[in-house]
This record gives sequence, C-alpha cells and structure tokens, in this order.
Amino acid sequence: MSLYLYDGSFDGLLTAIFECFADRCEPIDIVNEEIYQASLLEDLRPVQTDTTKAERVIKGIDARSDGVGGELVYQLFLSELAGIELRIYRLVRLLVRQNDPNILENFANPDVLYSAQVKKMISREVHRMHAFVRFQKADNDIYYAVISPDFNVIPLIGDHFQRRYADQPWVIFDTRRHYGLYYDVNNLSFIDASSDILSFATVNAAVNSSLDGLEDQYQQLWKQYFQSVTIQERRNIKLHLRHMPRRYWKYLIEKQVGRK
Amino acid sequence: MSRTLEKLTILSGAAKYDASCSSSGSKRANHNKGLGNSDGMGICHSYTEDGRCVSLLKILFTNHCIYDCAYCVSRRSNDVRRAAFTVEEVVDLTINFYRRNYIEGLFLSSGIFKSADYTMERLVRVAKTLRQQHNFNGYIHLKAIPGASPELLHEAGLYSDRLSVNIEIPSEVSLKKVAPEKNYPDIITPMNYLSDEKDRYKDEKKHIRKTPLFLPAGQSTQLIVGASPESDLQILNLADGLYKQQRLKRVYYSGYVPIATDNRVPVLKAPPLVRENRVYQADWLLRFYHFSVDEIVSEAHPNLDLEVDPKVSYALRHPEKFPVDINKADYEMILRVPGIGVKSAMKIVKSRVHQRLNLDHLQRMGVALKRARFFITCPGSQYQHKDYEAGRLRQMILSSESVARQTPQLSLFG
Ligand code: SF4
Repeated sequence: MSLYLYDGSFDGLLTAIFECFADRCEPIDIVNEEIYQASLLEDLRPVQTDTTKAERVIKGIDARSDGVGGELVYQLFLSELAGIELRIYRLVRLLVRQNDPNILENFANPDVLYSAQVKKMISREVHRMHAFVRFQKADNDIYYAVISPDFNVIPLIGDHFQRRYADQPWVIFDTRRHYGLYYDVNNLSFIDASSDILSFATVNAAVNSSLDGLEDQYQQLWKQYFQSVTIQERRNIKLHLRHMPRRYWKYLIEKQVGRK
Repeated sequence: MSRTLEKLTILSGAAKYDASCSSSGSKRANHNKGLGNSDGMGICHSYTEDGRCVSLLKILFTNHCIYDCAYCVSRRSNDVRRAAFTVEEVVDLTINFYRRNYIEGLFLSSGIFKSADYTMERLVRVAKTLRQQHNFNGYIHLKAIPGASPELLHEAGLYSDRLSVNIEIPSEVSLKKVAPEKNYPDIITPMNYLSDEKDRYKDEKKHIRKTPLFLPAGQSTQLIVGASPESDLQILNLADGLYKQQRLKRVYYSGYVPIATDNRVPVLKAPPLVRENRVYQADWLLRFYHFSVDEIVSEAHPNLDLEVDPKVSYALRHPEKFPVDINKADYEMILRVPGIGVKSAMKIVKSRVHQRLNLDHLQRMGVALKRARFFITCPGSQYQHKDYEAGRLRQMILSSESVARQTPQLSLFG
C-alpha cells in the first residue's frame, strides 16, 4: 500500500495509474505533489511522468470501453475534485477487471454512478459556458471574454466556439486558472497570462478603455432587450435564479446594472 | 442609436407573448467559414425574470397591424405606440448580438401591415440578407403570415430553419369571435404546403446530393390557453392532430396574459400558469412517453387535474397497472411510473442487466422516490399500492408534496 505522488498533469496521473498496475499495488491515494501535505506515516511513491506509459493506459481504457473511457477519464480529471484521482484509478481498475464496455452502464455500481454524476456536472458547466460567455469587441477587432468556471473546462469548449465564430478572432480567458484560448481565424491555441494578445485589453471586462467604438451601444441595446422581454404578470424570480445562478451573473452584461 | 433603442423596446415588448424560444433541431453546420453554426442543441443564453429561456432575438418587424385580434397587444384598435424596423436594422442587430454570444439567432414575427404578402416579403428579405450577404449560419425562425403566397413561403423555407403559423385560439368557432379577420383554412393551408414542400426536398435529397436545406427545424405553432372556453381535451386533440397530420415539431402553449381591455376576451386576475404547465406536461407525455390523448384526458375528465401532474393522475386512474416491478417490467411501463423520467428509465433498464436493483440504487440514480415509491416494487420498497384506494393515495401524494407545492412548480418531469 503506497501513496503515489504525481506532478498534477493528466499524463502524470495516467503514469501513476500505470505504476500502480505495474507494482501490483492498491494505492492508498494518488495525490498531486504540489498540494501534498507531508506525513511520516505514509509509504510514498513519487512518479516520473512518462508519456509513453500514459498513452498505454489511455489505449487500454479505450480498448475496454468501446473508445469512450479515455474521454470520460479526461473529463473527470478536469473536474479537479478532491479525491478524483483515486476515483479514476478505481474506474480504470473496474474496466480492466470486467473487460466489458457495458459495465459503464451499470449505474448500480458506485464508481460508475459517481463518474456519471461528475461527467454530468462537467457537461453542465461546459453548457453554461456555451451559454453565458459574453464577448466584448476591442478596438483591435478581437472579441474578448473572461470566465472563471467551477471546473477546468477551457480544454473542452474551444471546438464549439471555433465552429461558431469561424470568421472572427476571439479570446476566452480563465481568470481563475490564468490561461485561455485564442482563435486567430485560422488556428486555435492556448495562451497564458503573459500573452501579447491580452495586453491590448485588460482582461478585466469592466474597466476597459480599449473597447471598440460601438461596443457600448450594443451592450445597451442588449440590456434594453433583456428588460423588455420580461412579462411582468409572470415574474418568477425563483425560476430565474434556478436557471441563472447568481455566481454566473458576473459574466452577463444584461445583469450588470448601473454602468452607463 | 436612440431611435434603434426605442424601436427595440417597442418591438421586443410586443413580441414577448410568443412562447416559442427553441433554437434546437436544425442542421445548419458552418462549413463556409462563415458566422454561426446551428447543428445541435439549442442554447438558452439568458433567462428573463419570469424564468423563460432567452435563446433568440425575438422581435416583431412591426407592430402596425390591419387586423384586430382581441387577445393581441398589437391589434388595430389598441392604443399603443407603433414602430417598424428596416431590414438593415434587424440584420445589424442579429449579427452584432450573435457575435457577442448573446443569442442563437433570430425569431422574427410581425404585425400585418398593408397585406400578408407585403409583410412576408420583408421577413424573407431579412433572412435572405443574413444568409447571402453575411454568410450567417445561426438559427432563423420566421413567422409565416397567414394568407401569404406560396412563392414567398417557399422562399422563407429556403432561408429559415423554422417557420410557424400561430393558431392561437384552439377552435375555429372561438377564433371567429375574437379574431374576425382570421380563419382556420388561412392557417392550416400554409402549414400543409410547407409540410409537403419539406417532404419534396427530402425526396429530392435522396437523388441529388446538393439539394438545399428546407426548414431543417420544421414548423411550430402556438395555442393560447384560457382566452377561450376550450377544454384541455380539445386543446390536446388539436395538438395531437397537428403533430400527426401537419407533422409539427412543437406546439407551444401560452397561458393567456390578460393584456387586453377588450370585452371579447375574459378578464383574468392572472395568467393561468398552473394550467399552462399541466398542458405542457401532457404534451410531453404525448411526445416522449408514448401516451395517447385519451389516456390523459377523456370525455368524462375533459380537463387536466391542477393538483397533480398528468402522469400521477393517470396512475391514480389505473390502479390495475401498478405497482410496476422495476426489475422486470418493460421500458414502456417503467416510463409510466410517476417520478421516473426518460433518463432514469434508461438507466434502470441498462443497469438491471448487470444486477438486481433495489430502492437505494433508484434513489442514487435520481428517481424522484417521493412520488415513485407508491407505484413500484423492488427490494427495499415498502409501499404496496394495492393497499390504498385511489382517493387515499392521492391524499398521501398531495401531503408528501405539500411543501413543494407552495411555490409554483413549473418544471417538467425530471
Ligand atoms: S394579426 Fe397578429 S399582430 Fe395583428 S392583431 Fe392579430 S395577432 Fe396581433
């Protein structure tokens, strides 16, 4: 029984899982070394990230799950939930032991059910980003949006926006994890906080002196639209909040009042 | 700008009574490196303070109207401020809202100015400009104006994803009373025409690969609930016919909002929201739960029960079909258990292949046991439905949900 330490990357986690199987060892836990709190009682097993091993794990998962397991495991990893590493290990173990792709549909199994629930939470967050991202056009003609999602969904949302906004350059930046996406009308790439693209516009949406001349006008029009489509006789704030929880309001131009 | 702002205020305010907001079910993929993509699920980008989805820029082209429908704010005899957009203004708003990810596209309706064709021609021009000059692949829903010529309807079908002709009043007799200029043939004829055209394009597609899209998201309509005396039975029968004969994708129901001070429509204190929700639930049972209209309402019970949802109501009226054995019953029957939605039913039939399911499993899978427990058997279940006569069971369900019922429960099934 060992506690495996990995470097916090997805490949690192997969390598750790590889080593667990190679060691024929049930891990006590698999922990990101950056957040690991040392304790003398544990038998530590640091893992050196190895992309070849990581790839073998993903191939093994996909082979036993009709090709859906790899993506599932990646999404679980992006949840960043406490203890998710061990959950992922247990799901991999289940797939290896059962060698039956349908096992991922046995929702009476606690590990399968948990994965399905986390996957649903991630999908919901992805869907909310598709819905609640608001771009502001800057005077360099790039459309900027900032987000701070509960889960690390930046790697999961690029395709959608690239397909939709194929003809306009845009940036979506996660202010919590300090990285984001930049699409320049040809390629989609990851950027970090030091990127030149960001220096044009402060990533802080509210105080921005370099907006396009017409940006404010469209924001006003949108706010007005939002106001006038409510049917007063049907007002139902509870329902409104259920669909649009307060923590997302910071993205939403239509929920910012006061700014002229 | 202030002029556009004013027009937007008037023309979105007048369009908000149309319940339709859907932007799903189209197949318009962005493969021309243009703007927009609508090949998937619709997205609600915002929610109004009445809790409705904001997915499309929903506006009237104009609220000038030569007709005088009693239930409508834009009716000729109503004293309201009038406005009309230009084609360019609508196009510009749509593009700029879309680029900022405010909307999935445009839902353009209109009052009738001058004539049906004169109006329809403008709506078509907006859609055509968006598609041809702006390479726009976002969602476009146009209103098909009753009485518009087939040529214009055909063109509209080529540029939009969905068209709708609103029936509004669920019987022709009542329609005549409140909307003297309208009649059912003017509404049903375009629906039939569009449905036939869609078929024709589908056929053609089998032989010629480059057949253009024609109404990829089909047609919809709206019925107003509570502005005229029709029963839920009449409403649901009408809807069922529209799904089957005109092959509509959606029928929307709108609880009558008492806006009009017109003595041809009833004076209500508030819109009948609970009834509206029950009708939506019944509509779901028709479309996704394999129910038929006569299983939901009948001559003997022509109106939906306002206290319990139509699925519970069905279960109470059919004690002989319950309890349902979770580990044995077929999918169809599991789907009929109150508290079990489509997703839970799927999970149940997939999981029970691997092992016997007990009450605990169901709870974890997300079954609403508060309701379901009265109607199922499985290891761990304790209620024996047979033990209760329908009246008592009804009371038990009502009291177990009494807390939830204090706030208007307007969601659909889980
Ligand atoms: S035709 Fe349409 S816009 Fe005109 S009054 Fe009737 S419902 Fe209203």
